[in-house]
Amino acid sequence: MKKIIAGVIVAVLWFAVVITYTVIATSPKDEDGHEFTILTVKEETVKDYNTMPVFKALAKTTGKDVYWTYNTSTQYSNNTDPVGISGIDAIYHSGFSNLQLYNYGRSGRIVSIDKYLKYMPNFSKILENRPEIAEALKSPDGNIYSLPRVEEMGLKAYPNLLFINKEWVKKLIPNDLPEGLELTEEDLVDGLTLTRNQFKEILKKFNSKDMDGDGKSDNEIPLSFVSTNWQGNISDLVSSFGVPENTQHKTIVNGKIEFTVEYEQWFNAVKELNDWYNTSLIRSTAFTQTQDEFLAKGQDGRYGAFYWWEKETVVSKDLQNDYIMLQPLVDDATGKQYVGASNELEIEKGACVIISTCKDIPGLLSYFDKFFEPIYSAQLNYGSIDSGAFEKYVEGEMLVHNSDHGAQSADDFRMKNAPYGVVYLDKNIWGKEVQMEPRAQLRLDRLEKYLEHNEFTNVQPIPNLNYSKEELDILFRYENSLGKNINSWFTTRVTSKSTPTVSDWQSFLKTNATSISEIKRVNQDAYDRYLKASEK
Amino acid sequence: MSENAEVLTAEKTDDNELLVEQAYEALAGGPAKASNGIVNNQSPTKWQKWKENFKRKGWILVFILPALIYVLIFCYGPMYGILVAFQDYLPGNDIIGKDTLWVGFDNFKTFFSDPNFGNYFLNTFLLCILGFIVGFPLPIIVALLLNSVKPKKVKKGLQILYYAPHFISLVVLVGMLKLIFGSDGLLDQLSIKMGGDANGLQLFLKAEAFRPLFIFSGNWQDFGWSAIIYLAALSGVDPALHEAAKVDGASRFRRIFSVDLPAILPTIVMLMILSVGNLMSCGYEKVLLMQTDGNISTSEIISTYVYGGLMSGQYGLSTASGLFNSVINVVLLVIANFTSKKLANQSMW
Repeated sequence: MKKIIAGVIVAVLWFAVVITYTVIATSPKDEDGHEFTILTVKEETVKDYNTMPVFKALAKTTGKDVYWTYNTSTQYSNNTDPVGISGIDAIYHSGFSNLQLYNYGRSGRIVSIDKYLKYMPNFSKILENRPEIAEALKSPDGNIYSLPRVEEMGLKAYPNLLFINKEWVKKLIPNDLPEGLELTEEDLVDGLTLTRNQFKEILKKFNSKDMDGDGKSDNEIPLSFVSTNWQGNISDLVSSFGVPENTQHKTIVNGKIEFTVEYEQWFNAVKELNDWYNTSLIRSTAFTQTQDEFLAKGQDGRYGAFYWWEKETVVSKDLQNDYIMLQPLVDDATGKQYVGASNELEIEKGACVIISTCKDIPGLLSYFDKFFEPIYSAQLNYGSIDSGAFEKYVEGEMLVHNSDHGAQSADDFRMKNAPYGVVYLDKNIWGKEVQMEPRAQLRLDRLEKYLEHNEFTNVQPIPNLNYSKEELDILFRYENSLGKNINSWFTTRVTSKSTPTVSDWQSFLKTNATSISEIKRVNQDAYDRYLKASEK
Repeated sequence: MSENAEVLTAEKTDDNELLVEQAYEALAGGPAKASNGIVNNQSPTKWQKWKENFKRKGWILVFILPALIYVLIFCYGPMYGILVAFQDYLPGNDIIGKDTLWVGFDNFKTFFSDPNFGNYFLNTFLLCILGFIVGFPLPIIVALLLNSVKPKKVKKGLQILYYAPHFISLVVLVGMLKLIFGSDGLLDQLSIKMGGDANGLQLFLKAEAFRPLFIFSGNWQDFGWSAIIYLAALSGVDPALHEAAKVDGASRFRRIFSVDLPAILPTIVMLMILSVGNLMSCGYEKVLLMQTDGNISTSEIISTYVYGGLMSGQYGLSTASGLFNSVINVVLLVIANFTSKKLANQSMW
């Protein structure tokens, strides 16, 4: 017995030693002999940055010796003080929020980059030509604490497109089409226009019939989306009632910050969608599923219609032609089409921060400055030329995407080979220095058609605004709880058995009145300052 | 017989107290009571006695040293961190240093003025108190029942069956809950097949279903495990008492109430005081895992708020709200201890 116990103890101790050793061995440490060590946040599936041709090329042109170490996003997010990791000079993909940047900056732990602009010709030129970018990057104390990621393709403001299964509609054409709707097979092409009620009637047919022909009529999903996701959310369906909805429920209408929940149309949408839910046109999974679950379920063509960024990722390759893009649903009451604008930004802060303990800050920043040149930005964003992301590069000509990646899809290739991060690809670059990615081009074309009749030409996304410390505190206090309250009210009322009432909505607005007015006030002040600063 | 015994013990106690008093006076030099009024300067003072005692037996204290150091370093040491609650703390700052930004009770003010504060407080309170009401008696009942099972094998088997779920990790447990009660889950499929609403019951989207789901799944997981401590207490009951009760004609049920229950009462009271002290701290992990947009009006509690604050870099605010929670726990603990002292003459201190 004693022997057994002793054996167990020895085994446990050994185990502990081995674990400790592995933990120590895998934690990032200062690689001796390198000028700079940079921590990046990447998944295991992404290739080692040290082997990526683009970084080798960057090292060659700048003459800097950089070693890349990494954390996976889970490791990184569990670290409450990443700036404190010893032996690193910068964090790539830091993902810091406004408040974090400001806090780290004012305590002097990350470098105020605007003090070193003379070492950064490319970056300072960008700031000079684009005052709104300079304005967006500033912290409340007026300093710039991070390098940005700028990718302007005009896609992010409209993250939803509506697709419908045309094969299913075809089956309805002979004698099952809803009353008052006349369609022929020739009509079933991209850009088909339906009113919301026609769409609803079609969904009802999808729901009650065996559309996919497997003998069961209950496994079709009439309409799907991921309600509060950044792409493919419910916002455009709500917008179709005449309210410029987005996932943050706030937007700019005629230069004024507005909350969509205060619009009567918003309440009308909740009321109508409650009916859609109770007639099973929208399933509860739309409110609980994650992006991955949504994508997995869509592959075999079970969706009658769905909202998403593009159809290519949702349905499998052989079913692509089954789906066509619809125009935004026409509001039956006004006969108009409405599409809200999201607040997803094309100028992102926090792509990279420099840690104050770095021994040669000008040197490191001059290295990062190269990232802003189109030839490097493109490679960082899509993958290196030498690994086959682009056709052979000829000096002075446009970078052309290589579409042949062998067995792997374009998406897979990019995920593995592109480091992303600090990038400057502005709206003038496309078609001149860098070819627009074919998928992005396709979406842009679709978007043009989708937005053709959008009534909300006076609606804008909220740009990167700058807040003072006091304003940040106010926003933190109210935004956190208001966001939760709105999403909770919306979800519970849409999925409730009883029809939502006006008095219920009004009392909801009343309880949140302070939050709404405070957030509006702070944002309006910041937006007015933004306008003034960009005029300069 | 028992009355005599009581009298005996009472006398003994009196004796003891007398002895203690005498010893105490002797220690103190006993000058006050000396009838002749002469102060005896020769007898050693209390301090001298203590010193002598320490010289002789002090080395025994070495044994307590590791435990003491452990508690100081790992329990009391980190506590100075609560000072962050009164600061505008930035990561990497010294908690006490010349750059420290003291803000007094600002963080608490921010927390209390959060529009949802009342809601968070109520949610925390209800979730924990309901969990306590359901979860506290359950293991006692189970232990008493298990204890009256005669065949040893059946008893052991049942016991293992009951405490096995304890070893399921939280994430897996919530995964199971979602598979059974979530969208497209077992329950919804069943209700659809039985001709119910085509959208199923959707318990994960219903605010009113959150607490029952949370509490019952938690108790399902832990009642067997918590029963073990009561079973241990029950195994210490003298079989002679049971035999005597049988001779007196007590039924099985009667014996549970008159023999078993009084025997484990001290354990029950002690565990009750301890769990009242932890009443407001139901862990945030499971709550976070079970949170959806639909149930957030009941599932947002103080500890998930603390977590949210930490994740968005609001260290001072998070610490303040966490501290607030702990203060409530301490107050509850003191109240529980006091009440049980008064009512059951049982207490921790």
